[in-house]
Amino acid sequence: MYLLPTDEQDEIVATVRSQLEADFDLHALAARDGAPSVVDRDLWRRCAELGWFGLGLEESLGGVGYGLVEEALLFAELGSHATPGPFLATVLGARLAAEAGASDVAAAVVGGESVVALAEPEGDRLRVTDHGDADLLLVVGDDGAALVSSDGLEFRTEPSLDVHVPLATVDAAAARAAAPVAQLADAGALLLRGTVLISAELAGIATATAEQSTQYAKDREQFGVPVGSFQAVKHRCADMAVRAEAATSTVRHAALAVRDGLAEAPFHAHAARAVAGDAAVANAHVNVQNHGGIGFTWEHTAHRYVTRAQVLVRTLGDRTGHLGALLEQPAPQ
Amino acid sequence: MDLDLTEEEHAFREEARTWLRSNLPTEARPPEGQAMRDFDLAWQRTLYDGGWAGINWPVEFGGRGLSDIQQMIWYEEFARAEPPFTLNNSCTFVANNHGGPTLIVNGTDEQKAEHLPRILRGEVVWCQGFSEPGAGSDLAGLSTKAEIDGDELVVTGQKTWTSYAHVADLQELLVRTDPTAPKHKGITWVICDMRSPGIEIREIRTMSHVTDFCEVFYDEVRIPLANVVGGLNNGWRTAMSTLSFERGTGFMADQVELAATVERLIGEARERTDASGRPLIRDEELARRLATARAEVSALRAMTLAGISRTARTGMPGAEGSMIRLFHGELHQRVYQLALDIIGPEALRLTPVDGEGVWTGPYLQSFAYTIGGGTTDIQRNIVGERVLGLPRA
Ligand SMILES: Cc1cc2nc3c(=O)[nH]c(=O)nc-3n(C[C@H](O)[C@H](O)[C@H](O)COP(=O)(O)OP(=O)(O)OC[C@H]3O[C@@H](n4cnc5c(N)ncnc54)[C@H](O)[C@@H]3O)c2cc1C
Repeated sequence: MYLLPTDEQDEIVATVRSQLEADFDLHALAARDGAPSVVDRDLWRRCAELGWFGLGLEESLGGVGYGLVEEALLFAELGSHATPGPFLATVLGARLAAEAGASDVAAAVVGGESVVALAEPEGDRLRVTDHGDADLLLVVGDDGAALVSSDGLEFRTEPSLDVHVPLATVDAAAARAAAPVAQLADAGALLLRGTVLISAELAGIATATAEQSTQYAKDREQFGVPVGSFQAVKHRCADMAVRAEAATSTVRHAALAVRDGLAEAPFHAHAARAVAGDAAVANAHVNVQNHGGIGFTWEHTAHRYVTRAQVLVRTLGDRTGHLGALLEQPAPQ
Repeated sequence: MDLDLTEEEHAFREEARTWLRSNLPTEARPPEGQAMRDFDLAWQRTLYDGGWAGINWPVEFGGRGLSDIQQMIWYEEFARAEPPFTLNNSCTFVANNHGGPTLIVNGTDEQKAEHLPRILRGEVVWCQGFSEPGAGSDLAGLSTKAEIDGDELVVTGQKTWTSYAHVADLQELLVRTDPTAPKHKGITWVICDMRSPGIEIREIRTMSHVTDFCEVFYDEVRIPLANVVGGLNNGWRTAMSTLSFERGTGFMADQVELAATVERLIGEARERTDASGRPLIRDEELARRLATARAEVSALRAMTLAGISRTARTGMPGAEGSMIRLFHGELHQRVYQLALDIIGPEALRLTPVDGEGVWTGPYLQSFAYTIGGGTTDIQRNIVGERVLGLPRA
């Protein structure tokens, strides 16, 4: 048992990180606040070339051949950088297509040619995130999951809490009317992976906000000393670090349990989702406070983590749902 | 990253499970006095004879030389065996969890050869004489003084909150040997024989009704200089390694047991009903708190594993141990607060701190988890300053 990344995994993280810093700088991306699609096709294709969309997909299915653990490390970085773009729908959509035998579709998604947006039921409509440039919708529901074409669908756009996660709805019956391009009757395993990946993204938010606050507490001076020397601030930073550590460790544990197909995998995935969600929301909130006035500005990135955390804890189930599911599980042996 | 157990670790788990089935005591632990000491030492001896003492201690001193992972597996199997007592609620705690480990890292060959085997065989009880009336969180402010006289230290002063001093043979004692040096520089860590002339011990009753807390008074107590561990006036460093074990790995058994406690509590909530006959687990608020507790003990286990992985890389638990200690202490309290909300009228009935199906005693005891070994405020300072590198006030 070993819960820290190997050297090879550290290298993957370092590569992802430098790419995100170069191409996904949040200040530069602010120019696209509120745009129907935040990430353009060129950038999306570059991410594809780096192998991100098929990172955890088996080579036999057209992927890079790493596993869920490496995918979770990627998603933790996406969370850390509050990266916009339909990464989750893409990674899950590619797997769905590959497992359903639609290898052309999978290849187009993995290659960044087909853009996928996530569609979740909301009353008699589907709530679609990142609809702007989507070719396909990944529709998830109780009756499995399917990739459907977005052609001819009428999107009703709405202002989004997170201006980097464009929001729209579409008529559910209309979306389900056309034959899906790929389909899984039982999406349990796919959604379990999704739970781990969202948890990883949330853990990334918890980590990045803890680091942002700690750095600011060292740099910002008041009363002639760094504000981090005040115990009230220091203790808030310490609590953020503990929450980030709890979230990160739990997510890694869950990723391993799901990868290895352990009987208690759902237990750990739901637990990770609860712990990481709480950590992300709490840390994102405290992070604003720790920055004082500048933390309240549009220019500062603190608010990006707040809204991203709030979107993610409501994606593919919410806190109540995951806690309920966790309580249904047998105790791990 | 992996969750795999080696074949050896699998076999170890099986071996532990089988052994526990036929060797676990069935009687409750006596809560006090000589009977308690006898019980704790007899259990330690049983562990030793079975090969379960000093699992991660060096073989040359009677340990098994195995990994921290195996140590954790043992705790897990112990918790799973539904024992009638908790492992760490024992007067052997200090010796097993930080006294012995401190000697392994800092002791001379003679000290190790003399003390480590006796600890493992259940022949001695150790206690910890760090805190004083005027020096708790500010441990380095301690004033119990020791003067050198020939090849002896002569100690005069007072310690307090010394758990199990009244049944102890030996003590990890911190004394001031150089009153002129800066406060961290004039301290010495020494092994004190609790039977020495000049020592007086008074028991203190705690809020959980037990009397294993003590005050210890020293009046010109003579201790051989050969008992100094880690060098004269170098005691702060030795004490830091003691505390890194106490905070880093000392509570691993409690952390593992807490998971079993939460499962027991979920069982209670399934069986118990409210006034209208509805199972408590159907109550939305209780269900949410129980599920959160489950998620958080799962996080605690993952953090423990991450901590073990880190220690495997560096050899010693680092300041990160304070993150686990902090998380565990507060979670431990939340779990027992939740228990009181689940057990209904039983919440009004006092139980011992230890034993089968007890809740209110452990609830009262849980307040210790954010004070002993450094309060949560101090743990937060350590995380802020030593893990995150924030400036001191
Ligand atoms: C169950 C139990 C067993 C124990 N066993 C032993 C033992 O065997 N041997 C031993 O030597 N000691 C033992 N102790 C003592 C323990 O280590 C001390 O109680 C602890 O370190 C706190 O010191 P104090 O009691 O003097 O409290 P104080 O230091 O007086 O603290 C009072 C309050 O002030 C806060 N505070 C103090 N300093 C700071 C600061 N710098 N920043 C923020 N807040 C601060 C504290 O967090 C606390 O809330 C035990 C304690 C308990 C509860």
